[in-house]
Amino acid sequence: MKRIYCLAALAVLFASTSAAPAIDVAPAGAAACSGCHPMSRAVETPFTRLTGRNPADIVTATQEFRTGQRPATVMGRLAKGFTDDEIKAIAAWYAAQKE
Amino acid sequence: MTRHHVSRRDFLKRTTASAAAVTISAPAIAEGAPGRVVVVGGGFAGATCARALKRINPRISVTLVEASHAFTACPFSNNVIAGLRELKAQQFDYKRIEGSGIEVTFEPATRIDTDARTVVLSDVARVPYDRLVLAPGIDIRWDGLSGYTEAAAERMPHAWRAGEQTLLLRKQLESMEDGGLVVISAPANPFRCPPGPYERASLIAHYLKTRKPKSKILILDAKDAFSKQSLFLAAWKELYPDLIEWVPLSKGGRVTSVDPSTNTLTTEFGSHKAAVANVIPPQKAAHIAAVVGAANKTGWCPIDPVTFESKLQENIHVIGDASIAGGMPKSAFAANSQAKACAAALAKLLAGEKPEEPKLINTCYSLVAPDYGISVAGVYEPRNGQLTDVKGAGGVSPANAPRSARQLEANFANGWFKTITEEVFG
Amino acid sequence: MTARALINVPPKAKRGEIIGIKSLISHEMETGFRPDATGQPIPRNIIKEFVCTYNGVEVFRAEFFPAMSANPFVSFTTVANESGTITMTWTGDNGFFATESVAITVE
Repeated sequence: MKRIYCLAALAVLFASTSAAPAIDVAPAGAAACSGCHPMSRAVETPFTRLTGRNPADIVTATQEFRTGQRPATVMGRLAKGFTDDEIKAIAAWYAAQKE
Repeated sequence: MTRHHVSRRDFLKRTTASAAAVTISAPAIAEGAPGRVVVVGGGFAGATCARALKRINPRISVTLVEASHAFTACPFSNNVIAGLRELKAQQFDYKRIEGSGIEVTFEPATRIDTDARTVVLSDVARVPYDRLVLAPGIDIRWDGLSGYTEAAAERMPHAWRAGEQTLLLRKQLESMEDGGLVVISAPANPFRCPPGPYERASLIAHYLKTRKPKSKILILDAKDAFSKQSLFLAAWKELYPDLIEWVPLSKGGRVTSVDPSTNTLTTEFGSHKAAVANVIPPQKAAHIAAVVGAANKTGWCPIDPVTFESKLQENIHVIGDASIAGGMPKSAFAANSQAKACAAALAKLLAGEKPEEPKLINTCYSLVAPDYGISVAGVYEPRNGQLTDVKGAGGVSPANAPRSARQLEANFANGWFKTITEEVFG
Repeated sequence: MTARALINVPPKAKRGEIIGIKSLISHEMETGFRPDATGQPIPRNIIKEFVCTYNGVEVFRAEFFPAMSANPFVSFTTVANESGTITMTWTGDNGFFATESVAITVE
């Protein structure tokens, strides 16, 4: 038990004194999209690529899926699970991704 | 520092002194390194997680422990059974994963020393970890259905772990005479791929309709409702009238025993002699989960919905089919989605940061015919300690969609398989 | 009201043999405690009684309650004494009644 406490203390020390930037992970929900929307150019699929796109386009499309304005199969059902802020964060993250 | 992994052969070359060095798990965090993660299981969950970790933080040392050199994917394996696809299209190797800075160890994990935080591979080879990810998939409950043993599965294939079993079922269907009875036994929840038995029945029906039109399919089910039920039932009526009969639990559908010597399945109220019997038996988290004490009485692994850390074992995270993931089904998409969320949480934890609440997705396509796809989708988030459906989101394909929409979903199903396997193994 | 009941009784038995009997009936077993979409309670609709007779003699009786699952499955044993008929009846709310009979030969 003592060893664990000691390690925990060390971990805290590192977290507080290290100059390394915080770990940058994708915003909530973003990582799940690449199950269908390919990150890689190598794959040929009917799904729209999200990487490197104009974020405003992703936001508009997702919002239109959510309201039903844009015809969809699964995206109409999935978009309803995300708030505007979440959609914006996901769009910005994909826009910034390189392949 | 020595290599953090040692194979049996390497080990034998070494001296006792150096062997001692590799079994000591000095936590990497104390040395300023971002940490060591060992992932056990190289399927959709495990391989995704290993890769996602490296992508988030290349400095994390990642070891993937997987017994097999080739992975055979279950999604689309029903197409193989129905002769619509070859097994080769389901198989993937780990070369690209090895090439991305992940150490892949082709040995089964035999046990885990949680005190020393070490995965024991064989008698001598050990891999230490700071955090362990268990993604072992499922095992068949060989004690779960009277008469259904490993030997029985050679006569009455389950084909629920893709590979030889898939081909066996296909061969039996191919050699069956026209007019034969195909019996599929479907288990109670939870089990891997909830719509799988019904997609399988559909695609076998597609095969029989053209090749052996006098044959019939009987589904004996241990439950009264199943995934995408109304869509399947409507499609069967439209595409395969009178070819598929579904007997739910409340109509005596639960199979209580099987007899491989006569190819007979017995329910509480009758017996059915099959020309081809596909027994999809009850399942549980794969053996290693129970060995390490991460599985509870249900046979599956309870987890924290933010970090996927086991509720029973510290520093061990469970993802994919082996986990109890609240509302999320046991699907390849869910496994992939969980793996990426788990990787993000691990990267944060190893850096001493607080993991962010994830949002997860599942999308699950089923083919009722090669050009007829239906889907179920869901969005999930942690709530009250569980991964819970986000209200108002998700659901199944519309009931009265035109055939063009079914065709489109069939195209998306094919596209999804290409995308996900490229992300995981490509 | 029609319901589909399944029963399983061995067609043949030796005199004095203990035989297993199984029954399953399709019934929603609505508890009466659940609200509908408007918040009104859905009226109770359950099977209240299950009786099994062997050549007219009652050998098993069960009282059912709202906590019982839909499509109740009942399994019990009795002693095979003589050839004849085994009859099962289910009675419940809203005049629900179902019955099934099967012959048994005792040697």
